[in-house]
Amino acid sequence: MSAADTTPMTDTAQASDKRRLLTGLASQGAVLITVVYVLLWIIYASEQPSALSAYSIESLLNNSLPLMLAAAGQTFVVLQGGFDLSVAGIISLSNVVVAVYPVEGPFGALVNLAMVVGIGLAVGATNGFLVAYMRIQSIAATLATMIICQGIALLILKAPGGYVSEFISYELTGSLFGVVPVAAVIGAAVAVIWLAFRRTNTGIALYAVGRDAAAAELSGIDVRRARFAAFCWAGVLYGCAGYMLSAQTATGNPSAGEPFLLLCFAAVALGGTSFSGGSGGVIGSLIGAATLMLMQKVLFSTGVSSFYTGVFQGVIMILAVLFAAFVQYMSRSRGNR
Amino acid sequence: MSLEQDMDTSAGVDTRAASRFGSEAITIAVIFGLTIVLILGSRFISPAFGGWGQTETILFLSSFLVFCSFGQGLVILVRGLDLSIASMITLGGVLTTTWLAGSNEGLWYVVPAILVVSAAIGSISGFGVTMLRIPPFIMTLAMGIIIYSLCLGYTQGTPRGYPAPALADLMRAHFLGVPAPVILLLVFVAIAVVLQSWTVLGRRLYAVGNNPIAAHVSGLSTNKLTIGAYAISAMCAGFTGIALAAYANGATLRMGDDYLLPSIAAVVVGGSSILGGKGNFLGTVGGAILLTTLGTILAALGIEQGWKTIIEGAVILVALIILRESVYEAIRVWMGRSSTG
Repeated sequence: MSAADTTPMTDTAQASDKRRLLTGLASQGAVLITVVYVLLWIIYASEQPSALSAYSIESLLNNSLPLMLAAAGQTFVVLQGGFDLSVAGIISLSNVVVAVYPVEGPFGALVNLAMVVGIGLAVGATNGFLVAYMRIQSIAATLATMIICQGIALLILKAPGGYVSEFISYELTGSLFGVVPVAAVIGAAVAVIWLAFRRTNTGIALYAVGRDAAAAELSGIDVRRARFAAFCWAGVLYGCAGYMLSAQTATGNPSAGEPFLLLCFAAVALGGTSFSGGSGGVIGSLIGAATLMLMQKVLFSTGVSSFYTGVFQGVIMILAVLFAAFVQYMSRSRGNR
Repeated sequence: MSLEQDMDTSAGVDTRAASRFGSEAITIAVIFGLTIVLILGSRFISPAFGGWGQTETILFLSSFLVFCSFGQGLVILVRGLDLSIASMITLGGVLTTTWLAGSNEGLWYVVPAILVVSAAIGSISGFGVTMLRIPPFIMTLAMGIIIYSLCLGYTQGTPRGYPAPALADLMRAHFLGVPAPVILLLVFVAIAVVLQSWTVLGRRLYAVGNNPIAAHVSGLSTNKLTIGAYAISAMCAGFTGIALAAYANGATLRMGDDYLLPSIAAVVVGGSSILGGKGNFLGTVGGAILLTTLGTILAALGIEQGWKTIIEGAVILVALIILRESVYEAIRVWMGRSSTG
């Protein structure tokens, strides 16, 4: 600190360059998690060379995609400054609907997709209404809607069973032209849609509301509309997560969504999105989710007992948050000079 | 939110304490009233219901939720959230059965040891939240995942052993015709209410929750107080684990899962603000008992699990909608008008 105080004026330009770089790093938590992801890949590939085969890449992506979509949805809600527990309920409900009402063929897959998007949108809109317009705290409101969704899922399917249409379970988990995994295409599509969305008025409003809702309101942003939209986007993405989970498991389970509840928050945290809202993004969450799934494979391949996977997940979550905060702190303390 | 509060105070008279007391009293009365109506109403379902016997059972079953909700409530009071409760309950249960291994020997030091271990883990969460400024949601989530994973490894996937026979006997004992667990519940609630509402520690926790900066400026060590809240929460969860293991005569790795979300629901239904600084433990107790009563009655109705779950969710939702500030405001305005006019 004292050294920085005595920095001659001529170094300011250089310092501001550094600052810009650091602020960039801080705002894009995605950079950090990408580095972690690549490192994990290197470890994984060196432990198990077969990891680089097209088949194992495809299956890893298929395993990761549902969590990636769920984490992407959660990011919208976390960005506006809240938490969405209904993710577990919507995934369970979507999974059950796809498994109980399978429609065959590519057209059928679209019909099923429309169903889960409809479910996600309906529940998301309910959440948004409760939080934005009824002003109920998001954790509490989405806890209630999550439980109700789980109940409806149980009504539709009492015990694990049902089957998913062949087109969904085979084509959507395969590769396009035998080269590009469909899961990768979907993941990339979500990233592209996000990049476009972020530049729209709603996207900008989302960040503004998360950073300071009162200031956003004063500068003419419709805070309630922005919050409402965030929950709707989230719901639709959870529905898609349930859809892709069905494709992967090819069966229905009324409690399929439960493991996603805590893991999707872990993925958002890893991706560098701030839990106080207003900073971060979907791309980080996508890679964060992929990292969590890859980590399980790596720990398994390096011979760590699967019992202790959680210790690594937990410690990495904490370290990721600490590191992001450290980078932000560094860039801010330099910026003040 | 903050705009409205400013307007409240600009009226000239400080009515905040009075209005808070009013809304808290209304919440507690409504929740306990609802519970009593539910229990009495259950007579229509089965003649065996609605009596003292069923009330005892409900109090007994809700005691586990009350224990861990107290800690959850304290953490929420200081603007946090404890997601490690499920794992801490499992840890309490697993340590009870493995350390005691079915004998009364060592009971006197094992139980305190488990509580100390739990409190120490809670302090780590508190340390992360205060000193390292990790958001409570992430810190306790990560801690929960770590502790669960350690339990898994420690037991190699299958918890063995039994709690001390003395503990199991205690869960079945009666004093003056009242089951021991119900007495335990009453004693716990009494201590907790005194701790939260009447002691200096409790008042300081409210101060931290209301406005951490103001609390810090007025000389409170907000960090220590917050760490204390997390330690108490983990200790309560560990205690719940011991009680559950004694009740079920064994531990499972998933024994805590049924208590994490209900503990948050009980606090919220009980009228506490999830944003902190506001709440009353009696409301939480009411919330826990209400949720347990509802579950018991729905189970007795023999309806499908799906409908049961939907009704539980709907009750939480209705409670949330009813217990909003604006509704109290309306009640106060209405009562004021009727008294003056």
